[in-house]
Amino acid sequence: MTTERAGRMAPAGLTGLDRLRDLRSRGLLEKSYDQVAALLAEETLTHGGNGTSGACGGMGASGASGADGAYGAALRRAGRVLATLDPDAVLAHHPGTPVVTVAVTGQSTVAPVVDPLTAELARHGMLLRPVVGDHGAWLRDLGDPGGPLRSAAADLTLCLLDAEAVFAQVPVPWRPADVEKAAEEVLERLAAIVEAVPGTLVLNTVPLLRRYTHQLVDHLSRVRLSVVWREFNTRLLRLAERSPRLVVVDLEPLVCAGGPAVDERLACYAKAQLSAGLLAGYAREVAHLARALRGMTRKCLVLDLDHTLWDGVLADDGPDGIAAAGTLRGEAFHGFQQGVKQLGAQGVLLAVSSKNDLEAVHDVLRGHPDMVLRERDFVRINADWRPKDRGLTEIAEDLGIAADALVFADDSPVERAQVRHGVPATAVVALDEEPALHLTRLLADGWFDTLRLTDEDRARTDAYHSESGRRALRENAGSHEDFLRGLDLAVELSPPRSHEFARLAQLTRRTNRFNLTGTRMGEDELRERAGAPGRHLLLAVRSSDRFGNDGLVGAVLGHYDGDRLHLDNLWLSCRVLARGIEQACVAAVLAAARDEGLTAVHAVYRPTARNERARDFYPSCGFTVATQDSHDRDTITFGYVLDKVPRHPAHVRIDRIELGRGAGGHR
Amino acid sequence: MGIASLEGFLTLVCDELGLDCVGAEAASADLADLPGWDSLNLLRLVVLLEEHGRPVPVHRLLQARTLQEIYTFAKE
Repeated sequence: MTTERAGRMAPAGLTGLDRLRDLRSRGLLEKSYDQVAALLAEETLTHGGNGTSGACGGMGASGASGADGAYGAALRRAGRVLATLDPDAVLAHHPGTPVVTVAVTGQSTVAPVVDPLTAELARHGMLLRPVVGDHGAWLRDLGDPGGPLRSAAADLTLCLLDAEAVFAQVPVPWRPADVEKAAEEVLERLAAIVEAVPGTLVLNTVPLLRRYTHQLVDHLSRVRLSVVWREFNTRLLRLAERSPRLVVVDLEPLVCAGGPAVDERLACYAKAQLSAGLLAGYAREVAHLARALRGMTRKCLVLDLDHTLWDGVLADDGPDGIAAAGTLRGEAFHGFQQGVKQLGAQGVLLAVSSKNDLEAVHDVLRGHPDMVLRERDFVRINADWRPKDRGLTEIAEDLGIAADALVFADDSPVERAQVRHGVPATAVVALDEEPALHLTRLLADGWFDTLRLTDEDRARTDAYHSESGRRALRENAGSHEDFLRGLDLAVELSPPRSHEFARLAQLTRRTNRFNLTGTRMGEDELRERAGAPGRHLLLAVRSSDRFGNDGLVGAVLGHYDGDRLHLDNLWLSCRVLARGIEQACVAAVLAAARDEGLTAVHAVYRPTARNERARDFYPSCGFTVATQDSHDRDTITFGYVLDKVPRHPAHVRIDRIELGRGAGGHR
Repeated sequence: MGIASLEGFLTLVCDELGLDCVGAEAASADLADLPGWDSLNLLRLVVLLEEHGRPVPVHRLLQARTLQEIYTFAKE
């Protein structure tokens, strides 16, 4: 909203960095770690706590990449301050802080990545526990099962590759063929190690430096070197296509955005082969990967309209006075809308929060010729004149997601400050009066990064529109029971089909409320379980109703012990929660288990920050409390004797239940 | 307080490197004896001094033994 641009003012008060340093000097930083994420937010770190000065600070075009510019410099300093903290001291004050253990190794000096990684993880409320390997010892670090890196049981292992990984093996003088041979050897070594490293391994492509290309004087040889080098990087990337636990970060887009790739002096004297700017960009990618692995991927992008999606102010200029095509600035907004549409096509829910009249907004999204984004692209359109924090809270509630699953983008510093204050869990993206930078700013953080995209992701917006149909049914139904009966719910449970493992792994990562032990599983772990159906139970839960097919919405994990079945965990997407599907699944599994001749079922519940409401789920299905775990006081084990089976809810039809116990692995 | 005085330099260095603040007497102490010192701090100082318009040849900085020495390089 341009009308509120007057809210911009000179930087005032202490910046987040000042406050961090002050807390540290007073010995209070460990105790205050829960405030650190808010202090590191883009506009609070560099421009003082009120955030109203964000758009006029030092965020030039170079700052739009996020990892560079004034914010990048301040974040680097914050990382240094935070890296001096003792993780155990932080945990003593805040035992619930999510800790990410990261093992770091590589070809050259890799310790400089620790500061930026500390800061990037802290931005998301996470705490880094780094384990740094020896200089240049990646082969030993990754290959030795008893070594400190492998035994750290890291969530993420970073192996930072640089051009020296190849060129250290190349004789002098050299030809492109020598480089090809050395690159081949490096690839072979990496391929041999990838599967052995526990957790998620992160490799990176390697920028080709002019220092090497121009040691060749003829163009034909240079071309040959470039081809060899591209092939090396391509094959590195292909490794990630084959292995679900391997991620390869492509450094090329980071170098293009920020460059240079190396500080030759530090490379020469200190063996630091990747520049500080490049490591900062890399650390940001890794932090978003850590978020994705922990199920913290944001789910919904909430957008302002005036000067965010189009040029002009609808309430002042009218529909004919706004533009998102056809004018110089209009084309910039057009490009932004295309980028947003691209996100929406991949499962990112889109919503609007705008100070406007609702009907006028609907008219524009329905009929204005410039718009790329249309009504149907948005799952919620909030347009009114209330404070935006209330609108965002409502959007989250409507969608059944937490406020920390939202990302809010607005060009008005006043609106951003209001949202940051009112809904602190929501990520805020600062846009400004330069629409050509909107998309770069939005993408500076990988808020929606995920490991694998599934069919369910691509259909998510449609699924939420189906949800609107359900909502209408609910509002018109006489009672909740009438509503459930009217849904015509059908469920099937069977071992996962081969194409479903990526979705299953994603479900275990994204599901928080009905994740009865908090466990998250990787694709290969799930395949391993499914591959031993005599010992393990793994079922995919698929549901549909009269409004549409919800696809894979849940999972059942268990194992057999003699004539008993142990239910290790249940997951059910919050989209379909509280419709009786969870009870129907357990009843169906119990009935099938009894038919298989099993006599009893054990089940376990372990509380997490998000699953408290599921604590009484097993008792509600007729289970009795068996034990409280003596090692882990919070864990509750339940028992069920299969002399009878619970009645399953009458409004849920079980179309198919197949434990797959006798089958030879997944199909 | 800028980099022009030894005192300003020490304050800056402590803030930027996350060290507990040192008095002027620590300026002549061996770097390795400073509480919380690690060798990467020399690399950080390369960047820091350049940002403050006081570039020091990297090989000299990497061989420095005390903060006083680095301050002298930066003043040159």
